[in-house]
Amino acid sequence: MSVRDEVRQAMGALSGGSAPGGRGATSDLSIDETLLLHSVGWEPVDMVFGVSWWSIPWGVWQWTTGEVQAASAAFAGAVDQAAGLLRGECQKVGGTGVLGVEVSVRVSSHHVAIELAGTAVKRTGRPHEGFEFISDLSARDFVLLTRAGWWPLGLAAGASFVVAPRRTVGQWASQQGQNTELPNLTEALYLAREGAMERMQRAGASMKADGIVAVKLREGRASSNIRVMQFVAIGTGVHLRAGEHQVIAPTMVVPLDERVRQFDVTSLRGSGGR
Amino acid sequence: MTDREPQTDGRGAPAEAPAEEVAAGRLPAGLPPDANRRLAELEDRPGHKGMFTSDLSVNEFLLIKEVGFHPLGFVMGSSIYHLGIQTRRWSQSQELSKLTEAMYEARQLAMDRMDAEATELGADGVVGVRLDVNYYEWGSDTAEFIAVGTAVKSEDGRSYRNQQGKPFTSDLSGQDFWVLMQTGHVPLGLVMGTCVYHIAHRGVGQTLRNAGRNVELPNFTQALYEARELAMTRMQDEANALGATGIVGVRLEEKSHMWGDHTIEFLSLGTAVADTTVGHTIPQPQTIISLDG
Amino acid sequence: MTPTAPTAGAVTGGAGTAGGEGGLPEAATRRLSGGAWSSGLSVTDFASCLDMGMRPLGFVQGYAVMQWSWYMATGGFAGMRGGLGGGGAFGAGWGTAQRRRGQYVEQWQCPHGFVGAEHRMYGMNYELTWLEQSWATGWGLAVGRMVDEAASLGATGIVGVIDDMRPLAGVNTVEFRASGTAVAVDDAPAPAAPFTTYLSGQRLAKLFEAGFAPVSVVATLSAVQMLGYCITNYQLAGTAQVGWYGAGGGGGVGTIDQVNRAQAAARRLARERVRAQLGGDVLHGATLESSEREIGEGDLSVQCLLKGSRVRQFKDFDPLPHPAPVVRLT
Repeated sequence: MSVRDEVRQAMGALSGGSAPGGRGATSDLSIDETLLLHSVGWEPVDMVFGVSWWSIPWGVWQWTTGEVQAASAAFAGAVDQAAGLLRGECQKVGGTGVLGVEVSVRVSSHHVAIELAGTAVKRTGRPHEGFEFISDLSARDFVLLTRAGWWPLGLAAGASFVVAPRRTVGQWASQQGQNTELPNLTEALYLAREGAMERMQRAGASMKADGIVAVKLREGRASSNIRVMQFVAIGTGVHLRAGEHQVIAPTMVVPLDERVRQFDVTSLRGSGGR
Repeated sequence: MTDREPQTDGRGAPAEAPAEEVAAGRLPAGLPPDANRRLAELEDRPGHKGMFTSDLSVNEFLLIKEVGFHPLGFVMGSSIYHLGIQTRRWSQSQELSKLTEAMYEARQLAMDRMDAEATELGADGVVGVRLDVNYYEWGSDTAEFIAVGTAVKSEDGRSYRNQQGKPFTSDLSGQDFWVLMQTGHVPLGLVMGTCVYHIAHRGVGQTLRNAGRNVELPNFTQALYEARELAMTRMQDEANALGATGIVGVRLEEKSHMWGDHTIEFLSLGTAVADTTVGHTIPQPQTIISLDG
Repeated sequence: MTPTAPTAGAVTGGAGTAGGEGGLPEAATRRLSGGAWSSGLSVTDFASCLDMGMRPLGFVQGYAVMQWSWYMATGGFAGMRGGLGGGGAFGAGWGTAQRRRGQYVEQWQCPHGFVGAEHRMYGMNYELTWLEQSWATGWGLAVGRMVDEAASLGATGIVGVIDDMRPLAGVNTVEFRASGTAVAVDDAPAPAAPFTTYLSGQRLAKLFEAGFAPVSVVATLSAVQMLGYCITNYQLAGTAQVGWYGAGGGGGVGTIDQVNRAQAAARRLARERVRAQLGGDVLHGATLESSEREIGEGDLSVQCLLKGSRVRQFKDFDPLPHPAPVVRLT
């Protein structure tokens, strides 16, 4: 059936039929993602959200040198709570998991704000199966991952906040005019990165993950104090469910549509162009 | 299309300008001598192998070749225009027709010069046209209007010039050009319409009367609505004059330039096209579900 | 109470109103009446439009300029701020506030007893229904006028809708804008009103192939005001002590319950409002934009804008082949 006929059939349905009634699904997935999910037997249920703000005590940025434990504790608490809220909403609408979770992290002087937003999905035609996963992977990644025998478990996140140490007057004087490494700064930032990743790994281990994929490492200035750096690592904990990895061989394509993203030029001429 | 920086051929200017070409009337006298010299470099003629310059990416280049066109050269036109002042009434919304005319005229001059360059190269059309407005600190109320693009020529000898005998112009990328040709449409020209509009200031009384309430302000809705429709109507008139069946890629740009908040130029732009699909069957696209990006 | 889009009225008054056909501005009627069609679609989207058997009729647009303020001086629960500061005065203000049906309201009370005049004994989260209403009015007018333009062209639908809201010259004025490309589907029954969708091009073609018909664009703004009580204030200032709330960690790290409730409520309200406009259809390709404004020390206003395309399933999914992974050589 050509798309022209389908459009006509659709118009017929619009002019004749009425809305189906009942509880409609909502989703932020693209049509590609919806179709992909459907092709592996899943469907979107509802958009779900989890937001958590945690307070950070006043003064920690000023009075601490090295790592700011209070801030990373607030981050961990907020991530846990937001994920819990997301999970609660997912279960309430009968979803099995949450896909494509967008993670927003904002750190200000006195609080950490974590916002999670994703689409709850479930297996088509099955009754409520119980909660299985939260993941920031897209539906595409989910399809590929599950076909390879792996399964997402949950968000693994870790953060670390560090106040860069000041150089002493003696150090400053001796380093003037030289090109030299600043070992204490190197060490402080190095430790902070390690700290964020280690906390993320611990979060992964606690959900019994075999690995964490698609880790995003973000770093930058935190709070209004210019000496404070933040390091945040977030990924999806995955588990090898199938016993062993199923190899998927990709095909290569050379696209000619660098600018035009929403429409594949090659598709006009059938697969692969001429 | 990544960057549209003008490209040069890397060789120095030829020792002598082809004055005999100008004398023979082959070069339009309206173009500056430097432009004539550069364009002459690009052309094939006895004893001189031409070359092309283009800001097309490799993908665009290949696609344009695929539909049977060859890039000839990078062409441009510009015009520095002094924009006069037009008195506006504080409390009345109205079109500033003198400014409208100036904005239109200046762009038209730049495009005509680009057209002349393309004509000189024997082009059938210009793709990837960009219209820019630059302001310089040294010129108050002065703006430079620039049109740049890549001239192309059909390889099968068929003329694609529009009914005014000029090369078609379009802001289509190489990819867009390819797709448009697949649908059986040909571009006729970049069409535009503009309207410079002054929005009334609101009186204190008016503001107070509605204080604390979010309500529609119908006079303002009406004024802005009118301004946009005028810009679009003018664009459509241009398309009709070219004998177009339609305009694709219509954009509506809104800029205050240097006139302050209350004066806005509404510029609508698009590529006029003609349908040549009589007996043409459009290849059915294949739906693909991509697993990447 | 569900803010629904009002039917678009004619633009009346003002200069040059000729009261054209269908209540459209004169210039619109003139433009739409003849000559070449115009389309806001990109060439690729235009191409797939032709593939779908849709004939572009014209670029259609609709606007509404509104007087606008994010804060309101009177009505609703506003005006209570004064009462919240002093412990004693608050009770009276709160008691007289009119709560609308279905409006989200939640209260907090200080556990400390009387501490001082500056101490905030009560806190409250409440929905700003007036703001939601006026947003729905502005958006509804702009979209409605766009649909009117399309209807005057005899369109079957509008594809590639773009809408937004932006501040206009002068203070407290915003403009709601909506535009799209009106299309006709020949030899097909026309819906009672033109359908509208944010999608266009190949994405729209895929939607049809997947068995969904576009119905309309749907958007809603939810707004929740949070007037913090003492503990929320301390938490946002980072001066809360351990033991004032249940599950905090050491050193004053803890969840800010009142903010989290306001954030969750704003999102829940947005989803409910949108669902109320779906009638059982599906909301596809939704986007949520959220923002907070600090409206005073310890007070927040949370807004969520949720929009998407309402689509109706008209046939079952066709069986799909398993997707093949590809690697792009770019």
